[in-house]
Amino acid sequence: MRPEGRGPNVVLLSLTLVALAAWLGLDSVSVAANRIVSGTGYRVDEVIGAGGALATSLPWLALAGLAWQPARRHLLLALALVVLMLSALPGWLALSAVFLVDGAQARLGIGAGIWVVLFLLLLVMIELRSRLALTRLLGWALLLPPVLSMGFCLARWLEPLALWQEYRGRSGQFLGAVGEHLLLVGVAVGTSLVLGVLLALAMRRWPGVQKMGFGVLNFLQTIPSIALFGLLLAPLAWLSANVDWLSALGVSGIGWAPALLALVGYSLLPMVRNTFVALEAVDPGVIDAARGMGMSRSQVFRQVRLPLALPVILEGIRITTVQAIGLTAVAALIGAGGLGTFIFQGLGQAAMDMVLLGALPILLLALLVDALLGALTDILRPGGAE
Amino acid sequence: MIELIHVTKRFGAAVAVDDISLSVARGELCVLVGTSGCGKSTTLRMINRLIEHSEGEIHIDDQQIRAFREETLRRRMGYAIQSTGLFPHWTVARNIGLVPRLLKWPTARIQARVEELMALLGLSMEEFSGKYPHQLSGGQAQRVGVARALAADPDILLMDEPFGALDPITRESLQDELCELQSRLHKTIVFVTHDMDEALRLADHLVVMHQGRIVQQGRPLELLREPADGFVESLLGGEDRGLKEAALLPVSQRMLPLGPRLLARERIGQHASLREALSVMLWRHAERLTVVDDDDMPVGELSLRRLVGARSDE
Amino acid sequence: MNEIRRWVVPLGWLALLLATTFGMGQLEGLFRWIEADSRQVIYARADFVTLLGRHLLVVSVAAVLAIMLGVGAAIAATRDWGRDFLPLVSQLASIGQTFPPVAVLALAVPVLGFGTLPIIVALLLYGLLPIVRNTLAGLEGIDPGVMEAARGMGMSGGQILRQVELPLAAPVILAGIRTSVTINIATAAIGATVGASNLGDPIISGIVNGNTAYVVQGALLIGLLAISVDSLFSRLPLAGSR
Repeated sequence: MRPEGRGPNVVLLSLTLVALAAWLGLDSVSVAANRIVSGTGYRVDEVIGAGGALATSLPWLALAGLAWQPARRHLLLALALVVLMLSALPGWLALSAVFLVDGAQARLGIGAGIWVVLFLLLLVMIELRSRLALTRLLGWALLLPPVLSMGFCLARWLEPLALWQEYRGRSGQFLGAVGEHLLLVGVAVGTSLVLGVLLALAMRRWPGVQKMGFGVLNFLQTIPSIALFGLLLAPLAWLSANVDWLSALGVSGIGWAPALLALVGYSLLPMVRNTFVALEAVDPGVIDAARGMGMSRSQVFRQVRLPLALPVILEGIRITTVQAIGLTAVAALIGAGGLGTFIFQGLGQAAMDMVLLGALPILLLALLVDALLGALTDILRPGGAE
Repeated sequence: MIELIHVTKRFGAAVAVDDISLSVARGELCVLVGTSGCGKSTTLRMINRLIEHSEGEIHIDDQQIRAFREETLRRRMGYAIQSTGLFPHWTVARNIGLVPRLLKWPTARIQARVEELMALLGLSMEEFSGKYPHQLSGGQAQRVGVARALAADPDILLMDEPFGALDPITRESLQDELCELQSRLHKTIVFVTHDMDEALRLADHLVVMHQGRIVQQGRPLELLREPADGFVESLLGGEDRGLKEAALLPVSQRMLPLGPRLLARERIGQHASLREALSVMLWRHAERLTVVDDDDMPVGELSLRRLVGARSDE
Repeated sequence: MNEIRRWVVPLGWLALLLATTFGMGQLEGLFRWIEADSRQVIYARADFVTLLGRHLLVVSVAAVLAIMLGVGAAIAATRDWGRDFLPLVSQLASIGQTFPPVAVLALAVPVLGFGTLPIIVALLLYGLLPIVRNTLAGLEGIDPGVMEAARGMGMSGGQILRQVELPLAAPVILAGIRTSVTINIATAAIGATVGASNLGDPIISGIVNGNTAYVVQGALLIGLLAISVDSLFSRLPLAGSR
């Protein structure tokens, strides 16, 4: 790595230039007459003219300039500039809405250009955060101004934004779907955590269970997720038709019951594997010393093995939860509800905004859960010991 | 006092320890030495029942070790190992206080004991008590390991190659510290190593093991002078044995009273070893040395002839 | 002789896969028993050979692209001239791991339209990450002493990459490719929801029409395909791991 302040920061420079090219070259926004027809794309210069487009490229050039001589002061300035630019993006959408949208039915779509720029700007933030060695928390706090700006613009000027209209058309349904999604994920992960830990403990005690357990779980993973959901339809339908208390509980061939079963089945493998590996991987020297000092078996387990294994077990919970958030989306196919409903309904109706309404929150949820559990793992790793 | 009587350990069909008998007196430092796989660690671990012996009897202070609960037995003995086995998620102070906590000492007493031990092993309380094991150097970690083994003031200390992973200089200084500690504390220590120099340096009672059997045991000098067989002889260094023996003997054993002759210019302390005396002679091209006491006052002289002289002179 | 025996298991799975694909019609009795109520029990909108072919095609195209891009990016980020990009690339690989494939697929459709293209892009993105991560881990995990020695012997950068780094990292890289491909074989089935025709078709159609037999047929073939490919990978000679 080059010492700071000597030579340009190549990463920052290339990200900035690519982003500028995307900003000017790709469709920035699109306008559609109504919900179903596909929109017409507009580049930046088609919205505010060539002069305006040149003006909008100034902050990019400033960013490139700062990247050219990356002293710490310059990088801090660059970070401030990036936060400012991210916060200005909703303003740009509002401006486009004013220029382009007329008619109550017309909708403003976010174009490829803005998505690419958003993605690249976030990469720039990641790069700056690691160059400046900022804490995780500060990194997240820096996202606050853009989010607030988005909220503000949505309330004031962004009524025609397609995604927003889609949301307002079904806000109650949306919140319900988020709730269902989280509930399914929570119950599935919770159940598989309890089962997974018990299974891992059993595997440690009886090697036969270990061989068979991993065999079965590995086999489960080779069945594609949608197929597993589908395969549970018939048996559960049969059960609910023939076992009264199950149908009283609301178990049926479609809905939450097969979804939950499949989710737990899928979640078990990463959960069991991480828990098992974590417990096995504790340095045998430490265990030897613990026993040699006269700790009882349960003391060794509770005071030494478990705390040392905890970060890796949490890692398993993180992987499992993120995976379950994605799989729950698929569960919508068998009527389990959740955000996947919007995706598949949207695909069915060719209403892309509705697809986005389902897919974006899923993505955000996954990222958020990943970050939160990652932070928790860091906290629970005492003294920074590996 | 530790006694092993016709002890055998089998792992399946393999015999790891084959009918050994061994007695370690109270306050004695007994070193088990041998090549890897000779059964020395297994022997040590049978004493605190980390490994159960298959046949024979092991006694601690005339009681069968199986008369105790495993945990109770182990809490009576200190245990230090090569990898230190420090708990990476606990601070140094908490690691040291482990056994006292297991024994449910009151907090204030544990605190006082931890401070005492850290002082004893030269670890400054304010600098080290809050550190985690991965922040320590190898030597510091091993000191903490020894402190932890000593925490509940056990009569018996079991040490399994505790200095094996350290660099030679740190190892030697920790060996010196252990000798020094032992001269004050008089623990009954069983110490396992594969390093013969370390063994000769520390041992009151040296036990050489090979393929699960004890091939010879006794005081280090006895073994040096009369190795039981070729294996012990080669383990003791073959042609180097002379120097190893010289390292164990103090100058005061061979020196003569001051004679009428002029004092030799080169001097050596009376507690230095014959090996050091020989080295000084070689380096200074001197055939005679003046032996001095701790206050640098001449108390005798040592000639090359006396140094290499017949054993009957002693 | 040993060489032949090594390939017996994967070839066995492969044979079973082909036999099932071509002979699905012969299993009508079995499926009749699973799905007694339906008139038709063998998925007939397209024949299974075509579906298998398309499934394989989509997965292979995505895999080849992902390998070229992923291994390339990881190599670039570990060269002296590209090392500046290393933190970004490795962070990206770990963040990307959290993207659910359905969400990626759903986001690809508005941009790329319905059909095979969005599923290839989604599989490419999703399959890229294990490959990048493992290639980085493999290259970064090489004993610095070995690299030092290679440089000390006067090997050029290219020689070190080809003769030292890649062979030593090969097992880890291959493990990444294996994960990537096996996951994608299963994930590709979701493509059926955006109009890509592959082995996911019978599954979706089975769910929609409440015909478990269809679901079983799709799942069976995808499972066999995944197992065959996985077992082929596990038999590949891994330089440096023997």
